[in-house]
Amino acid sequence: MEFKVHKLANGLTVIGETNKSAESCAVGFFVRTGSRDENLQINGVSHFLEHMVFKGTERLSPFAVNEHFDRTGAQYNAFTSEENTVFYAAVLPEYLAEITKLWIEMMRPALRTEDFNIEKQVIKEEIAMYKDQPNYDVLDRCRLLYFDGHPCGNSVLGSEEAIDAMTAEQMREYFAARYAPNNMVAAVAGNFEWNQIRDIVESGCGGWGSRDVKRELADTRGSRAKNRIEKASLAREHICLMSPGTSAQSNRRFAASLLSMIVGDDVGSRFFWELVDKAIAEVASMGFDSMDGTGVNCTYIRCSKDNAHKAMEIIANIFAGLAKSGVTADELAKAKNKVLSALVIKNELPMGRLVDLGFNWTYLGQYRTVEQDVAAIKAVTVADINALLKDYPPGEFAQFSLGPAN
Amino acid sequence: MGQGADKHKLSNGMVLLGERMEAVESVAFGFVLPAGAAVMPSGCCGAANVIADWIFRGAGVRDNRQLGDALDGLGLHRSAGVDSAHITIGAVLEASNLSAAIELYGDIILRARLEDGQFAPARQLAIDGVKGLDDDPRHKVMLKLREQFYPEPLGRSAAGEIGELETLKPETTKRIVAETFSPSRTIFSVAGKYDFDTVVGWMEKLFGEGKKSRAKSLTTGDRPGRYKHIQNEGTQVHIGLMMPTVRPGDKDYYNARLAVAVLSGGMSSRLFTEVREKRGLCYAVGAQYHAMKEAAGIACYAGTTPEKAQQTIDVIITEFNRLAEGISEEEIQRAKVGLKSSLIMQSESSSSRAGSIAGDYYMLGRVRTLDEIKAEIDRTSVDSVLDFLRRKKFKEFTVVTIGPREIKIG
Repeated sequence: MEFKVHKLANGLTVIGETNKSAESCAVGFFVRTGSRDENLQINGVSHFLEHMVFKGTERLSPFAVNEHFDRTGAQYNAFTSEENTVFYAAVLPEYLAEITKLWIEMMRPALRTEDFNIEKQVIKEEIAMYKDQPNYDVLDRCRLLYFDGHPCGNSVLGSEEAIDAMTAEQMREYFAARYAPNNMVAAVAGNFEWNQIRDIVESGCGGWGSRDVKRELADTRGSRAKNRIEKASLAREHICLMSPGTSAQSNRRFAASLLSMIVGDDVGSRFFWELVDKAIAEVASMGFDSMDGTGVNCTYIRCSKDNAHKAMEIIANIFAGLAKSGVTADELAKAKNKVLSALVIKNELPMGRLVDLGFNWTYLGQYRTVEQDVAAIKAVTVADINALLKDYPPGEFAQFSLGPAN
Repeated sequence: MGQGADKHKLSNGMVLLGERMEAVESVAFGFVLPAGAAVMPSGCCGAANVIADWIFRGAGVRDNRQLGDALDGLGLHRSAGVDSAHITIGAVLEASNLSAAIELYGDIILRARLEDGQFAPARQLAIDGVKGLDDDPRHKVMLKLREQFYPEPLGRSAAGEIGELETLKPETTKRIVAETFSPSRTIFSVAGKYDFDTVVGWMEKLFGEGKKSRAKSLTTGDRPGRYKHIQNEGTQVHIGLMMPTVRPGDKDYYNARLAVAVLSGGMSSRLFTEVREKRGLCYAVGAQYHAMKEAAGIACYAGTTPEKAQQTIDVIITEFNRLAEGISEEEIQRAKVGLKSSLIMQSESSSSRAGSIAGDYYMLGRVRTLDEIKAEIDRTSVDSVLDFLRRKKFKEFTVVTIGPREIKIG
């Protein structure tokens, strides 16, 4: 493994980690923009724009873009979160240069009004699809409740109304403001020649003008509000809890992932033994989501309406137990094994490696080897976790429930 | 990599397969047990799902909690799945813990405690899983589609039927485990970092006992139906559509795979282009090849709001029918490159390789090398795919919809 970095004069950073034993490679553009960078009038524009990037450029039609990717057998897509828009492709080494050039071209999309109008229909279908998936819907609603006016509560997809009202011109303005080279990282992982890719990015992106890009970075402890919405069509109770967590920049993020593993991993966690193993809830999990300048612990429970009260009592007991006695050394040792093996397995694939590489640079401006992350996880102590529990008590949560009518 | 698998047969008939991967530190393994949904006795639909949970609730010298802690202590990431033919249980982990992990799985398969006290929660979770499907119409429609498409009992829901789960007894379930968990008909596969001779030694010691047993042959019935609508007051109509095609091992297998890739490989494929890119009808639309040993089909999913549902299914069916009229050379080339590159990329993942080699062995009785698959893909052409499509025309569409509105099937 060898790491290289090159910063263009306009602020765009290219990073690469070569692994000559890989069969494939992965390339991506990490744009530091998402729903937290929107206002309510244009809520959903980051995600909509991610779709529009695939609609081509002045030179390329939407069909030409898709055909070009498919000619190389690339596995490509993009995703948008509250704070990142990531475009990626996994390809065989012989196609990397070509696909990197294609992404570069696409990063300056045409944003044609006619494509915008067709894609608006697709976005509305995507919003409709998630409404039929209460496990996602409840998460979105709980985020809004927890963040209580903080921009991290903005929905990634946006509302149907906001999407309906949005114009192509508003999207073009947002694009110009956010897709500046100094707000992007180009990353490559796997089997590739660094000099070649660096030169392609330099010559393809060097002419882009930089802009002053800002983000509202205030931390928040969130609200502790509770809400429940009934829907006659639902069969199960879907409960989401959100409580404050440490940020992506904090060294305590490793302790925070271990804590969420101890409390809410799918198997073997406190949630598992108290709720799932006893068949009180069929799903009970906690995840830690570290973000730019803030973070959240997010719990999701699915159970029968009759068990909802009991499940919440058990969770209250688990959180009270953690506040009183903390975690045990045995729990921490098991969580470390699970986190470490997941880390190693994920990073065996260039695509998995690309994501860590890109996010480490986006959040920390830093290259971290897998070994450094392994060492950081191994170094976490029971005392670290118990101190984290004191500073970020999981019992201080906002709660949103979606369930059947009484 | 991928150039010839390790293989060994224990004296009782259990097949061990392996594929070494030099570039990884992980190892993945799976036990493919002949205890899937289709082989459950009638009246016990969902029993396989209960079994896949119950066997982990204590085995050998360990009770439920001790077993869970022992598995977690090895840092392994478990997987368990039930399909028509099999319960597959396995894990991916750091290579140094492989022997300890396999030993625990030996207990789980051969010496599961199957205590009555642990039966109720295992069954309850299975029942709750079925109920939860009502809140996941996208997943449910595909399960219901297989039920309608495949002849009984092949299409039986792996999740189960609530009525049958509610009357399922621990004694009956124990008997099913005793009858179906036969090492002699189990396929074991391992991929990643391991030493095959050492693995064979462990397996001989753990699983070598027991006699050969033969599978009961499966009698299949009729296809249940052509169109089924399940009313639900959700936001979208979820459409599942399936039609028969050739099975793995058929001389037209690769032609069929190419045809599906032209329809729904990448984003330039026909369904994505016509349904989403040109008309904005759906966010999610796609088709996949789905095979069992006894039958195979092409399964298509689309989700769309009620007012667009009829047009969506009409466009999809038109695209299926239009395929035999002509395919361009570029389309076939894109389909070939897509299939080959995804094959190579999957070969980098130990869990995906362990699954593939076991799947090959079950379907074909042997493991294909990557070179063989690539050569077979290369051998196809516009002519061979069109010839196949004209000989085996798409007809007999089976359709299931879940949502606020029914559609008409032409």
